[in-house]
Amino acid sequence: MSHWFENAIERGEQLTLSAQRTASLELLKNTPWPTRKTEAWKYTPLKAVQGFNATASEVLAAEQIEGLQAIDVVPGSELPTELPAGLTMQWLAADDVDASLFQQVKPNRHLFGLVNDVLAENVLQIRVAAGTEVATPIRIVQQLTAGSETHVRVLVEIEEKASLTVIEQFAGSEQSLNTLFAEYRIADDAKLEHYRLALQTEQAMSLGGSHFQLFDRSQLNSNVVGFGSDVSRIDMDVRHSGQHAFAKLNAIYLLDGKELFDLHSTIEHEMPNGTTEENIRGIAAGSARAVFNGRIHIHRDAQKTLAELNNRNLLLSNKAEINTKPELEIYADDVRCAHGATIAETDKTALYYLQSRGIGKEEAQIMLNFAFINELVDDMPNQAIAEWLRPQLRQRFAKMGE
Amino acid sequence: MTEQIDKALEREYEAGFVSEIESDTFEPGLNEDVVRRISAVKGEPEWMLEWRLKAFRIWQEMEEPDWAHVGYDKIDYQAISYYSAPKSMADKPKSLDEVDPELIETYNKLGIPLHEQEMLAGVAVDAVFDSVSVVTTFREKLYEAGVIFCPISEAVHKYPELVQKYLGSVVPQKDNYFAALNCAVFTDGSFVYIPKGVRCPMELSTYFRINEQNTGQFERTLIIADEGSHVSYLEGCTAPQRDENQLHAAVVELVAMDDAEIKYSTVQNWYPGDENGKGGIYNFVTKRGVCHTNAKISWTQVETGSSVTWKYPSCVLKGDNSIGEFYSVALTRGAQQADTGTKMIHIGKNTKSTIISKGISAGKSNNSYRGLVRMNPGADGARNFTQCDSLLIGDKCGAHTFPYVESRNPSAIVEHEATTSKVSDDQMFLCQQRGIDPEKAVSMIVNGFCKEVFKELPMEFAVEAGKLLEVSLEGSVG
Repeated sequence: MSHWFENAIERGEQLTLSAQRTASLELLKNTPWPTRKTEAWKYTPLKAVQGFNATASEVLAAEQIEGLQAIDVVPGSELPTELPAGLTMQWLAADDVDASLFQQVKPNRHLFGLVNDVLAENVLQIRVAAGTEVATPIRIVQQLTAGSETHVRVLVEIEEKASLTVIEQFAGSEQSLNTLFAEYRIADDAKLEHYRLALQTEQAMSLGGSHFQLFDRSQLNSNVVGFGSDVSRIDMDVRHSGQHAFAKLNAIYLLDGKELFDLHSTIEHEMPNGTTEENIRGIAAGSARAVFNGRIHIHRDAQKTLAELNNRNLLLSNKAEINTKPELEIYADDVRCAHGATIAETDKTALYYLQSRGIGKEEAQIMLNFAFINELVDDMPNQAIAEWLRPQLRQRFAKMGE
Repeated sequence: MTEQIDKALEREYEAGFVSEIESDTFEPGLNEDVVRRISAVKGEPEWMLEWRLKAFRIWQEMEEPDWAHVGYDKIDYQAISYYSAPKSMADKPKSLDEVDPELIETYNKLGIPLHEQEMLAGVAVDAVFDSVSVVTTFREKLYEAGVIFCPISEAVHKYPELVQKYLGSVVPQKDNYFAALNCAVFTDGSFVYIPKGVRCPMELSTYFRINEQNTGQFERTLIIADEGSHVSYLEGCTAPQRDENQLHAAVVELVAMDDAEIKYSTVQNWYPGDENGKGGIYNFVTKRGVCHTNAKISWTQVETGSSVTWKYPSCVLKGDNSIGEFYSVALTRGAQQADTGTKMIHIGKNTKSTIISKGISAGKSNNSYRGLVRMNPGADGARNFTQCDSLLIGDKCGAHTFPYVESRNPSAIVEHEATTSKVSDDQMFLCQQRGIDPEKAVSMIVNGFCKEVFKELPMEFAVEAGKLLEVSLEGSVG
């Protein structure tokens, strides 16, 4: 067993925990450390996590997103006091966290969900009252600083007919370890616009997920951007617990160097008439490793479901690798489900075409790579975020060409 | 509609009869002595026994895999008898005339003529009954062409150098749990060698039949196509209708040398168990082929039987420009469970693979496609195309897809797509409006759904496969 893992359990044992968190600790003690044979971690070695030792903890506010007016939340610091009407936010004390919370991260799916259950020092609760449309986005920022180990839990409840935008943003490149799990409960007719910007790189390790539960006619529009680091793992879980709910999930990952990025998505269609659209695009260069696992599970009662998943990848180097597994598990007959996955290099004829028009090879490559993912950037409802992302993506592409 | 489905699914398993044949059967149980006894009964040389014992020791160390999307009661390996042979085979009949007429009758009932003069299209048959090969037809004619087609137990004696060289070269003893078990206790199966540049003059076929109760069937097939040769091989199987589950753990190894081509077709119709999942065959099979330069291996399978299927015919595309193909129709109904698919391992440059998988689920069954496509770093210019379609008939069944796609070469192109649908009301309405009764309409729609695979089957098999689907689906929609 790993050093870090043993240590985490020991730390958990020393905490005074609520009943629910104690139960998670017991489960954690009986969970073996994942190996290559553990399906959920098949392509994602956790050696770097094992070897991690927290040395410092420093809270930093992250860089602003230019042109974006947001309510900033930095775990470990004071919450903003002036909030729009109908929106409430609070840090929960460790023994407050019971009953309705920690419902969505299934322990059998995610070991680090359990770690987060036990060790989360910052638990943020956000509530939007029924009928309230909150125009200002909430931005939860995690600046991963050298030697830090942070575990954050975010619990969001959007009541009937309310709407909200949440940005989970990660930055940093120093050796650090972070888990952040966000749980969203989107009530009847409510809407959530969601971003998970996993822009941490190099030695900043982050494992976590965003979990959504959708009720009748609710809508989710989620956008993930990932750069990859020693270990970057995100689980996006969507549960259709109501009818006629609509979930859209777009994700982009751009990897270079020795980066690893692992995206797992699980869509549970438990009720009839739900719709899910997933579009995942990835590019891997250098000696990076990309992992995508997209599972769509249509339960017996989920008739008339419409679910589509599309995963397209560009592999730019013969040292990089891409592993993808789109899964369908279907128990209802009157549904329309499809998935597709491709892996290839940049289209040579397109490259030639651009070169024949006098565009240099490198520039042409950047243009084509950018075009490959730009569709999903364009699709982001918040243009300020899209605008802020584009130059960063371009910079990545320039580096990939080297 | 549901009533009609239920009614249709009650159809009888036509191959479910038991033949009254006296057999020599080992006591149930498995240990080193049993492995030694099997080897002794077969009069095997020392090296073969050692090979078996090594496999047995490996098997003892292994754990039964549980990753497949199937559920079944734990198998008691000590309750199975590992050898059963018709008594009349003890003194090795020299010709068909000496074979127990009851045995020949069994094959006739199954529509497998063993009398050479009765053969229509000139297919050479090796008939394996429980643990032994009963008869192999057209051997002389094949021998003239230089083709070796005989029971593997005979090949161990007659062609030890070939067997020693290739046995386990594709599926080694430690490959997986069921393969290791097979290596230790396999009793018979077919051996095929096609010499350099020879195009096998007729289709080769092995017909497997489990008859005895409480026995497992562990057959092993080894096909070697030497440089530039060509062979088409067919495999069929049935078993009596019994309340107990029976284990069938086979291994098939194919070696396609440079420029050779092997076409391997299977119509699997083991007893599927009753509607509630009682009885039936556990079909846990390891099939794999190695393609050398410019070689081609094509797997075509129609899976309609077995209560649990665990089967992944695979191609290791080792040589440059080699080609792997997998065409599959898997039909599950009643309480059947199938977890089947393929692996395409691209090692050589410009290797190509095509996977077409059609899964049809009816009743309370579960049908999974599980596949792996791997592009190794050296597989420059490799290409894969995968299409998995599922058809659901009824609202109590399940259809699943678990494709693993791994690429480590930028110039390789991998494409995977999967869809799920049902027999739509529109299609049914259109057919019925034109005076086609509902049963026929379903059969037509399903046949259309499977067409891409059926066209890959040799003619006789395509007919049999079409018929099997027709019977299985009789009245599925109303």
